[in-house]
Amino acid sequence: MLAAALLACSLVPGWTQHGAARSYTADNLFEYMDGNSEGYLLYGFLSMRGVTCEKGGVTFVVDVSDFGDADSSYGMFSANRDPRLPTEKIGAGGQIVPRRLVFVRGQYYLEIAANPEGDHSAALREWANALENIVEGSTEPPAALGWFPAEKQQSLRLVPESVLGIRMLKRGYVGQYDYGKAFVVTDESPAAAGATMAKLKARFGDTTAAGIADEAFTVTDQYLGRICIFRKGRMIGGYANVIEGQDAKALATALAARL
Amino acid sequence: MVTSDGSVVERAADLGITYFDTARGYMGGNNERMVGTALKRKRNDVTLSTKSHAGSKADALRDLDTSLRELGTDHVDIWYLHAKTRPDEVTDELIEAQQEAKKAGKIRFAGVSSHSGQKELLPWLAKNPNIDVVLTAYNFTQEAFMNDVIAEVEKAGKGVVAMKVMAGGLRTARPGTPNYDKFKRDGALPAALQWVLQNPNVHTTIPSMTDMDQLEENLKAMSQPFGDAQKKLLAVHLRQISPSYCRMCGECDGQCRKGLPVADVLRFLTYAEGYGQFGLARERYQELNPAHANSKCADCPGCTVQCPYGVKVASRLIRAQELFAC
Repeated sequence: MLAAALLACSLVPGWTQHGAARSYTADNLFEYMDGNSEGYLLYGFLSMRGVTCEKGGVTFVVDVSDFGDADSSYGMFSANRDPRLPTEKIGAGGQIVPRRLVFVRGQYYLEIAANPEGDHSAALREWANALENIVEGSTEPPAALGWFPAEKQQSLRLVPESVLGIRMLKRGYVGQYDYGKAFVVTDESPAAAGATMAKLKARFGDTTAAGIADEAFTVTDQYLGRICIFRKGRMIGGYANVIEGQDAKALATALAARL
Repeated sequence: MVTSDGSVVERAADLGITYFDTARGYMGGNNERMVGTALKRKRNDVTLSTKSHAGSKADALRDLDTSLRELGTDHVDIWYLHAKTRPDEVTDELIEAQQEAKKAGKIRFAGVSSHSGQKELLPWLAKNPNIDVVLTAYNFTQEAFMNDVIAEVEKAGKGVVAMKVMAGGLRTARPGTPNYDKFKRDGALPAALQWVLQNPNVHTTIPSMTDMDQLEENLKAMSQPFGDAQKKLLAVHLRQISPSYCRMCGECDGQCRKGLPVADVLRFLTYAEGYGQFGLARERYQELNPAHANSKCADCPGCTVQCPYGVKVASRLIRAQELFAC
């Protein structure tokens, strides 16, 4: 990993290393961050290298994590950024708040936690520029983000397993909107997606067929509310928790058209 | 709790789960928001805990206010000082922060969470009148002393919450992976949870609940006793992982006559063999001091390192030297 070899406090002039460098794998990440490591493991975390840097009484805890592929690292970013605050173009996507920098480039997820309390945005930005140069990989966000309408979108994230809390919906994107939750899962093949649809129908029970893409149904669930799910080739998508006054079928139809 | 969807938390509460745990730092703060939103309708029916990693009183109290805001509540039931391993990490000012928060009605109980160092830390916490609850890593792969220190905490009238209950090789097994499928098929995952629950000194646990299916599996495990079949299953699993699985207990520190940092070298081997991170493993090995990096265990007349868990230390070190030494 390129970043591992080049990660050093001297990347930004004036900063010095405090303590030893850190390295972790999935086996011992919990020693560093306790239960928070579960969130990393969910996204296929492979390894992390980190250093703590100091300048004038300010410390930056800098960590670079390798997630193996750009989709997973972006997923980690999308799950850890503050969805209420804007992102900016650092790598494939980034966010700087007064005490924190997170950004993603290629398969790497980079983060800095700043101490003590205060607005460290300017220094974090300097670090963002320096770190971006030592990491290789795409600076384009995943194409899947384009499937989801931008209007009234509160957040959009990759859910690495059990989309909507359902294990058979293995991995996919979920967009949270004012009016409900949109999702798209890509299965191995159209046949596999067809089999998953059959299992979903069995799970939800009393479903009603809906004429969208290859097959679709609507249903109401105690936890997922008003739902419309469709299959288009090997993709399964739809809406859940659709609020009263919104048409789940119409929303799902529009989503299917974007795939 | 780190889960895939808030609906899992809602359903867990509806099915009778009454204790939910999160932390300020989980998912960059997003986890508290998700748990808070999911439990909004049930707040008064559940026990809610969160944690702070802060090192000073001011930072800790600031964390708590942020947690309350994100969780959408005016108080949490248990507020843990996060991931402490030694008594001196539970500083007077952090205890003061907890006491102040308690007086202000922002927390009901003060807790400490711990992943390691329990042998010294838990008896100390048992005697500390300011601590009400201890959240500790506890699972079937740990040494017997854990039962004693947990009993000491319970006897002192404090709450005992177990975490990391599905340990060792189970810890990193995710649904859909071959290991997970095997453990699930064999029943090792629920057995690991049952093993913890059969200890009367453990008041509750916080196993992960990734999805609705895992929630149901956990609930099923809770309703079944830990019997001979489960005992046998875990014993087999322990035997399988013992020759190579280093628990990082530190018992081997200082045992090698050449001064090798044994646990570190075994960890580097895990990087390569367990996770395919050969480059990282070699790089870390090369960072050892030259005398250690160039040591050859095969030249020693006999190994002085005895792993209490049966890890075949000498052969594992020789393997690391073959792979990583220049």
